[in-house]
Amino acid sequence: MYKHLFRLIWNKRKQNFLFLSEILVSFLVIFALSSFLVFYFMNFRKPLGFKYQHVWAVSYSEPLKTKNLDSIRTFYDLLNATLMSMPEIEAHSLSSGNFPYANSVSTSGFTVKGKNYSYIHNYTVEDSYLQTLDLKLLEGRWYRPEDAISKNRNVVINESLRKQIFGSAPALNQVMGDSKKENEKMKIIGVVKDVKANGDYWPSGSAIYYRMDSSSYTWVGTMLIKIRPGTGAAFENKLHKVLAQHMKNSNIEIKHMDEMRSSKNADTIVPMTIFVIIAAFLIINVALGLFGVLWYNINRRKGEIGLRRAMGATANSITRQLVAESSIMATISVLTGTFFAIQFPLLHVFDINPMVYVFALLITIAFIYLLVVLCSIYPGRQAASIHPAVALHED
Amino acid sequence: MLKNYFKIAIAVLKRRKFFTFISLFGISFTLTILMLTTAFIDKMLSPDYPDFKRNRSLYVSKVERLNTKEGWFNGGSASYYLLDHYVSNMKIPEKIGIYTFSDPVNSFVNDKKIVLELKYTNADYWEIAEYNFIEGKPYRKGQLEASELVAVISEYTKKQYFGDVPSVAGKYIEVDNIRYRVIGVVANIPRTQRHFYGDIYLPYTLSKADYKKVEPMGNFGAVLLARSADELPAMKKEYEQLISKVPTMDEGYDKMYSNADTILEGITRNIFGSGNDSGMAKSMSFVTAVMLLFMLLPAINLININMTRIMERSSEIGVRKAFGASSKTLVYQFVVENVILTLIGGLIALLMSLLGIYIFNESDMLPGLYLEINVRVLLMGVAVCLFFGLLSGVYPAWRMSRVPVVQALKAQ
Repeated sequence: MYKHLFRLIWNKRKQNFLFLSEILVSFLVIFALSSFLVFYFMNFRKPLGFKYQHVWAVSYSEPLKTKNLDSIRTFYDLLNATLMSMPEIEAHSLSSGNFPYANSVSTSGFTVKGKNYSYIHNYTVEDSYLQTLDLKLLEGRWYRPEDAISKNRNVVINESLRKQIFGSAPALNQVMGDSKKENEKMKIIGVVKDVKANGDYWPSGSAIYYRMDSSSYTWVGTMLIKIRPGTGAAFENKLHKVLAQHMKNSNIEIKHMDEMRSSKNADTIVPMTIFVIIAAFLIINVALGLFGVLWYNINRRKGEIGLRRAMGATANSITRQLVAESSIMATISVLTGTFFAIQFPLLHVFDINPMVYVFALLITIAFIYLLVVLCSIYPGRQAASIHPAVALHED
Repeated sequence: MLKNYFKIAIAVLKRRKFFTFISLFGISFTLTILMLTTAFIDKMLSPDYPDFKRNRSLYVSKVERLNTKEGWFNGGSASYYLLDHYVSNMKIPEKIGIYTFSDPVNSFVNDKKIVLELKYTNADYWEIAEYNFIEGKPYRKGQLEASELVAVISEYTKKQYFGDVPSVAGKYIEVDNIRYRVIGVVANIPRTQRHFYGDIYLPYTLSKADYKKVEPMGNFGAVLLARSADELPAMKKEYEQLISKVPTMDEGYDKMYSNADTILEGITRNIFGSGNDSGMAKSMSFVTAVMLLFMLLPAINLININMTRIMERSSEIGVRKAFGASSKTLVYQFVVENVILTLIGGLIALLMSLLGIYIFNESDMLPGLYLEINVRVLLMGVAVCLFFGLLSGVYPAWRMSRVPVVQALKAQ
């Protein structure tokens, strides 16, 4: 029966061309939309990997007009002592500008066993970073003061980078870096859980944590401070005053990490909501159009349907035939659309998990069939309910 | 003739109300989205408060250094040194405004934190940008050179810091432990005015960072004001020649790029630009592609529905053909009918856009940014309407007009 139906449609391919292209374009729109949604949802389900609550990020600009390492060291030691003496502060750490939820990215590359790895996020941090952001250590250990004088440069990497380079093989104490340059050798001493630094809907990406060395203090401009829960609002003013006194040459801004998280998430949610609303209107538009066209086409075939009814076909079998016909038409478009859609994972157009496309494709196919079946079931029912005598009389 | 077509069109629209509804829904929704988008783009690009001299201004916001051998790259805003030492020697500009791009700082009132966008400017800046001073006036060159601790604040800052008081000129505002005397209050500016947005404006001589550093990159931008719009190309060229003579000030780099751009070029350069290419062509083709893709689905849908509607009228067409109407006349009639339908859709879209803009403005989604439907946007809307009407009308009409008379007459 399906072969027969297919031939019926093939014979009318010219008339159905517009119908087919409409479904094809809808397919592509829904595929794009569901890819985004699946991608966001899969990331959303992963754990955060750190705690943003009660953390403040202080940005300041060039506190000293000198590049002298000793005076910079003295300046930070003094600042450190001041902050340590405040009971409201639980922990604090200097950090490169790309701390979680900051709109700043810093990446680097290196070689391991002759293989090149690039676009790895690099975070330059202090020993107290782990405690300040409550990172979860999975293997090995975090930095200690004695790492400053070790022979190799000790580094901590995240789960994703560990998986990317070593798979399931052991990673601890492995040496990375360009073998030609002795001073760029890096020894892995620990692995931390992935940190979703770009908001709840984005993957953490592969990352490496460097321990801040003396030269980093010349450019660093961010400090993360973890406040004891229950600290009053007045403390922020006090902290700002103290910092401003220490850094007379700086403009200082204190941001709350929970607010930064909301605005980072909004950067994803707002455009996505607009996209979903527009797509929804497009789909309603298409659904109404499909409904109208199918209704008209089916009504034109009253004679044929009346004949089949007179020959003893039940109303249900007529409806089934009409729904099956439109589904087969949809299949042609779905197959064409799938051909285009699978090019994304095959050609690695975007560097994301291929499972995203698989789920998105399944959702899209299901949605298209649902749309077509819903749009054809009512006109089909109506046509089938016609009395054979009336229908036959028409022509 | 047209009057007859109009009558027929209305009669046909009334006949199948469901189809009419589908067509109008598709047309008006698509046009509403397009109109809102153009209203937004128009707002971004055309002269607006406080930047009314946009037609004769060029903006410098980016400097890039390149090591052509190794492929190293270093980009950012311009430095004060570059603008003061080199750019200020340009002949064509009448005035040059120099300013930093705003940076957030904190201020506290009764332990409540206020985030203020801080901007440093020179004195000419105030003569180029036409700020609306609610009270007071801007700082002058003398005050700037004497490094007086004075500030111009926005209405927002006034309200946040001082509350509802009639006048604040002469009062003091404390930011980062320094007290500035308020000498002027200006009306709020939307954040989309990247070159002019700020909550508190200070003389650049008060900048805490070392703004005199000898390097090409820093946190500064500049607006170059020509005497008339005709001088813009010459001014652009002068800037280009000037930059080609500026040393990179670092041995690691052998090439430097920077351009004086219009607002539109500044935006496209940020997205698609590289080197001296402003990315204009790429951006335009990208925007056109997105617009066309967006219109594709409603257009196909509309053609589909029109096809159905026209086929329904095959007996009418058969009769007209039998009485000698040519294919051309018939196509003409259907296209006119369709354009009428689209224009009705356009009218609904206009009402919906007005509603959308009203909601957008009321919601204060982007504070200080108020959209409006102006004549240009309206004309663009009408043009898109006609395009849509022709696009979705011609093909079905052409198909129908080719149906043989006998078949058309027999159809029902």
